[in-house]
Amino acid sequence: MNDKLTSKQLSKKITDEYMEDAFHAHDNGKLIGYTTAISPVEIFVAHDIVPIYPENHAVANLTAKKGVELCSVVEGMGYTNHLCAYARSDLGYRKTGVTVTRGIPDADLFLACNAQCFTLTKWFQVLARQGGQPVFVFDTPEHVMNKKAREEIVKYCVLQLKELIAFLEEKTKRKFDYDRLKEVMKYSAASSILYKEFLDMAQYKPSPISIFDALIGMAIAVYRRGTQECVDYYQTLVNEIQAKVDQGIGVLPKDQEKYRLYWENLPVWFKFSDHAKMLGSYGGVILTSLYVHAWSFEFDLNKDPLVTLAENYVNRFSNSTIEDRADMATDLFKKYSMNGMIMFMNRSCKAVSFAVPTLKDILTKRTGIPALVFESDMGDQRFYAESQVRTRIEAYFETLDRLGLAQKTAAA
Amino acid sequence: MWESLNLKDVVALARDPYPSIRQWARDTGKKVVGSTIADVPEEVIYAFDLLPVTILGTHKPLKKAPSHLPDNACSLARSNLELALSYEGDLFSGFVLPQVCDTTQHLSDIWRINFPDKYVESYLAPRQADRPSARYWVKEEIERLIASLGEWTGKTLTNEALNASILIHNENKRLLAELYEIKKKNPGTITNKQFFAMMKLSLQVDKAEFNKSLKSIKDGLKLKKGKGYTDVILVGITCDPPEIFDIFDELKLNIVGDTLVDGTRYLRGAPSLNGDLIDAMADRHFRRGFFSPIHDDVFKNFEEVKKLYTETKAKAIIYVHIEFCESQEYDLPDLKNLIKKEGIPIHVLDTEYQTTSLSHVLTRAQAFFESLKGGSL
Repeated sequence: MNDKLTSKQLSKKITDEYMEDAFHAHDNGKLIGYTTAISPVEIFVAHDIVPIYPENHAVANLTAKKGVELCSVVEGMGYTNHLCAYARSDLGYRKTGVTVTRGIPDADLFLACNAQCFTLTKWFQVLARQGGQPVFVFDTPEHVMNKKAREEIVKYCVLQLKELIAFLEEKTKRKFDYDRLKEVMKYSAASSILYKEFLDMAQYKPSPISIFDALIGMAIAVYRRGTQECVDYYQTLVNEIQAKVDQGIGVLPKDQEKYRLYWENLPVWFKFSDHAKMLGSYGGVILTSLYVHAWSFEFDLNKDPLVTLAENYVNRFSNSTIEDRADMATDLFKKYSMNGMIMFMNRSCKAVSFAVPTLKDILTKRTGIPALVFESDMGDQRFYAESQVRTRIEAYFETLDRLGLAQKTAAA
Repeated sequence: MWESLNLKDVVALARDPYPSIRQWARDTGKKVVGSTIADVPEEVIYAFDLLPVTILGTHKPLKKAPSHLPDNACSLARSNLELALSYEGDLFSGFVLPQVCDTTQHLSDIWRINFPDKYVESYLAPRQADRPSARYWVKEEIERLIASLGEWTGKTLTNEALNASILIHNENKRLLAELYEIKKKNPGTITNKQFFAMMKLSLQVDKAEFNKSLKSIKDGLKLKKGKGYTDVILVGITCDPPEIFDIFDELKLNIVGDTLVDGTRYLRGAPSLNGDLIDAMADRHFRRGFFSPIHDDVFKNFEEVKKLYTETKAKAIIYVHIEFCESQEYDLPDLKNLIKKEGIPIHVLDTEYQTTSLSHVLTRAQAFFESLKGGSL
């Protein structure tokens, strides 16, 4: 039935149906579970809990430049302006009802996985205090570089997943169905492979996708993984991008693609398309980041589902050591033949940004490629200095030109 | 080195204990292991014949830390990193760094990368505390730390050594608790600054020696009730710089209860010596009071604070906010509202490590307590 739809149409259809389902969850005897974008949502899906991601809703508002309006309200409530803009804008939405979407339904319960960040846990706790709902913290200790410790961490996480299942059984008064979980895992595993295939198409020259395509394309992986429609969507997307590759269609024409760039951090949401155009005018295309790869899971279906879930959620880039993050980024540099890097110090996202100075030092040393570092905020326009960012980008491309990196990469 | 100190010595050493620790390490030939707050089982480190030192920031200027951690990072984290990178790094043979939030997680990595030749181990504290898995994990982490220290030192930890270490640490907590009781009832006897200097130094020097000083200080006290004191509760994680206690003393505030990690929360962490010692250390983790990064229930925190306020008959609560501590910043607005709704006067004190001028803190605190006395809050 979906064969005739493009990936864009399919994405809209899936999203509309998903939100419709969410808004009618209670009518259908389902609960709404707020969760973090990186969390073992497969457990929710297998137990018919509708997952809602306040982060996604925040992104919609921040991209539409609602950040200042919403964040200011929250600052008046006593929250400081250096907390995460997702959290501030969401708390502002709760207070004012202002949103560029139809909003999101209220939560019945919360699942906070700190493999993504600690902020989300604290943010969810604030929301839970307002509504009196329970919060389950899925605690993922850092994926430290010690084999034995990693094994113990996985055991601890499996124990917690069992506690999560018991928690959901108690809240829903329904027995958890492990066979259903196995089925959900199959979909998650299949869509993850396809999602990664999509991201990896940035290896082609010219690249048929930029990070901006990846950021749009990742949405379904975030909120619909564990479903057949998620698999269908990525199959469609991969087919479309492969067609572009076959025709030699790039984000920039081959002769204009000079700089294949790495981006560190989340995007500046309200400058999303501006950045793409600005960089394109210098022959630059941002190909990838560790952030978009956070949903390229490698589930092993031969293992106990709880074990493979624990292994995958604990080893996300955001929960890895800086050394491991540097290794992951280095692999991307090699694989995608990148010759530039933009390191965004995002005031909102401490979990990612506090690693950036060290990561930059390691990556520039390893690759010999200079880095552009700039500080701003992913959602709060008050922390974005337009002329300063433009000047730095301009100066950065001049440096790359002077070093002849475009020619060197082309020759390689 | 630390066995015959008087209160004046303690205050001076608490401000900068490192020259004396350096001298002690030279004299004894023992290694020094640094930790940051909170919850590293220091008894285990001590039992390996190492000196555990809790690093609580430096008052010297920041030079290197800002290039590793930006200015919106917790000021205590930046200050601790600076202390290690610029000032006292050579003193430490190793570090055991607890992870309780995003900042401390990155701090461990940055620390390890910057000290490739030293022993650096992470202590992965659970960031949930209400389920059985949390207890399982605390025990696992204690056992992992023992194995890691054993590998580094080439020693095997004996039950006797751990028992002896716990005895010394428990004795330290007992003496401090007794001194606290004396101070609460007789604020003219020990100032806030003197008492919290004893607390801080306890976290940084050899307790076997320092316990002798504490005992002799206690025995030598001449009790003075003092007049005109206002009893207050201190809520937060830590309170720094120590000059803030001078302000409390100047305003004649008597701290009669606290929830600080380097205060009452430390005192509550005495493991039982009956039964398995590792089990006992795991158990005590859950007896300690509220610590914002690992506990989620602000309502429970409010109840604890309210109980403390009521039981001590304090007149006000002072909440110590460490600038850029995200954990506190998500909890504080609700906690503050709950306290205010209860009709309890609360003063929020914003602190930042490396603060050079405290005149604004004094002015705000003065205004608060003047209005408190005038009953117009």
